[in-house]
Amino acid sequence: MMKQIALYGKGGIGKSTTSANLSAALSLQGLDILQIGCDPKRDSTRMLMHGNFIPTVMDLVRVRGEAALTLSDIVYTGFNGVRCVEAGGPEPGVGCAGRGIIATFQLLEKFGALTGDVIVYDVLGDVVCGGFAMPMREGYAQDIYLVTSGELMSLYAANNICKAIKRLSSRTKSTCRLAGVICNAKNQPREEELVGEFARRVNSSLIQYIPRDRVVQLAELNRKTVLEYDPDSQQAARYRSLAARIMENTRFTIPTPLEIDDLESLALEFI
Amino acid sequence: MTSNPLPLNLSRSGGCTLTGALSVTTQVRDAITIIHGPKGCTHHNFSLLHATALDNDRVSLPDVISTGLSESDIIFGGEGALRQTLDAAALRNCSAIFVLSTCLVETIGDDVTAVCQGSHGIPVIPIPSAGFLGGTFQNGVNNALNAIAETAEPCAKGSCVNVIGEKNLEYEVEENYAEVSRLLGALGIPVNVRFLRDCSIRDISRLGAARLNILRDGEVRAVGEQLRYRFGTPFIPSFPVGFEGTIRFLEEVADCFGVNCAQAVYEEKSLQDEILAEFDDIAGTSVTFDPAGVSSDTFPVAREVAGHFDITIDRVSRTVPLQFSPPVGTNGIRHMLHRWRRAIHA
Repeated sequence: MMKQIALYGKGGIGKSTTSANLSAALSLQGLDILQIGCDPKRDSTRMLMHGNFIPTVMDLVRVRGEAALTLSDIVYTGFNGVRCVEAGGPEPGVGCAGRGIIATFQLLEKFGALTGDVIVYDVLGDVVCGGFAMPMREGYAQDIYLVTSGELMSLYAANNICKAIKRLSSRTKSTCRLAGVICNAKNQPREEELVGEFARRVNSSLIQYIPRDRVVQLAELNRKTVLEYDPDSQQAARYRSLAARIMENTRFTIPTPLEIDDLESLALEFI
Repeated sequence: MTSNPLPLNLSRSGGCTLTGALSVTTQVRDAITIIHGPKGCTHHNFSLLHATALDNDRVSLPDVISTGLSESDIIFGGEGALRQTLDAAALRNCSAIFVLSTCLVETIGDDVTAVCQGSHGIPVIPIPSAGFLGGTFQNGVNNALNAIAETAEPCAKGSCVNVIGEKNLEYEVEENYAEVSRLLGALGIPVNVRFLRDCSIRDISRLGAARLNILRDGEVRAVGEQLRYRFGTPFIPSFPVGFEGTIRFLEEVADCFGVNCAQAVYEEKSLQDEILAEFDDIAGTSVTFDPAGVSSDTFPVAREVAGHFDITIDRVSRTVPLQFSPPVGTNGIRHMLHRWRRAIHA
């Protein structure tokens, strides 16, 4: 059965790095992977594509028109056969990027593109509007992973996303659930404990602790995922562990978001 | 942030801000109105304006164009579609173009004003008219009137008045104007501009020439104040309402122009006496006012008129009809009394 997972979290927290390395690790398990970048910044799949920005669905629609597009125009094969799609969006400052995500999903449906063993949706920082909640809706990602560090603002964003998951999961036919928290650390003291406790308080669990490691930057400068650049590194092992845990995960919950005061006092406990 | 209240006003003059703005801009004979939004906004309003004109015995096809936004315009922004529509409209022979915004373009944040600033050789006037922002039909009317007034420059004053903010969608719009025009005629004062009903951009350029503005009613007070600020023109805040109100109207206008109104007042009082005699047959009866679809402003004058005929108002007698807005002038009361008589003798 096809697994669809989505990674959400604060902007700049490392969702795309995590997604790309996760997709690479999953593909190395022999799975057929599709990664969809749902951010107008379009850089989700870049490391899988060896540093290339692939044409986005929205750019293609804008330039060529929807009628002229085929599946092969929008899906690109990257590292180890991982198929990559970038939704893209309007030029910064105009139009409606959220509607662009909805239109992209409709197009992907039309083309029958949503196939494989695992689909990884890499979604922009915050669920700012209904459009960016699209990957959580019925028929798409059932398993939502929050990517966060131990910094308060990052936890705050993760907590907000819990609110969106809670709202969406309460709908009758909804199948989206919180599947876990990924700690992409800033290497603060007691960070793993803090994020672990946060995960517990929002009725979930810490799936993987990923410490800050220079190999991530080195891999990026070489336009590769860590799995490709240095497969023997500790960091690569962590991404493989993340991939394995995600495939084995059976704990899917309706989150219990915290009040801001509780979130702050939680962060204070782990100074 | 605004929240839209429930539409309590179900008359033709209730409803969308866009419709209000259109009820004004489509009265400019030599202008084109662009509605920046999906085509449905244009279709519905076109139908409403066309049907209303037919009701008022006019066959008119309002000159309205839609930018016809589609989903891709929403995602990538609708400014390009507006620019194209604007360029195409500017090639036609017109004196001005009005650009009205809709809910959709205000939601995605199209900068309509910036697009309108391009050079087209004629005035291109943006009028904010998205309904979901909580504005009323009347906000649309007022926004349009204020925006269009900007096309006129201050000029030397003459011995004339402007009529401001006629309700172009009301059934009695011409009848009401005729009554005001008759009263002004009795004082020898002509109307300069009907702002805005059936006129050209050139007509509107004379807006500053009037010595007095006569507002349709309190709903356009903000426009009256804007015109007073811009052209230094004082205003009378409403068309005349009620027997006494009509006499007062004559006195106020005469006072503003420094003319003697004794003869006009005498003749008007005679006309009012005639009416009292003419409808003698309904004196002393009992009636019920049906409040459905009637502005609260209408009841005071209905009660005043009933008082002149010793008509008792209760909740159980024959229901007499009231129009949405108060009757205008002495002849407006006569028309109302005709309707009452038909109901009472039915």
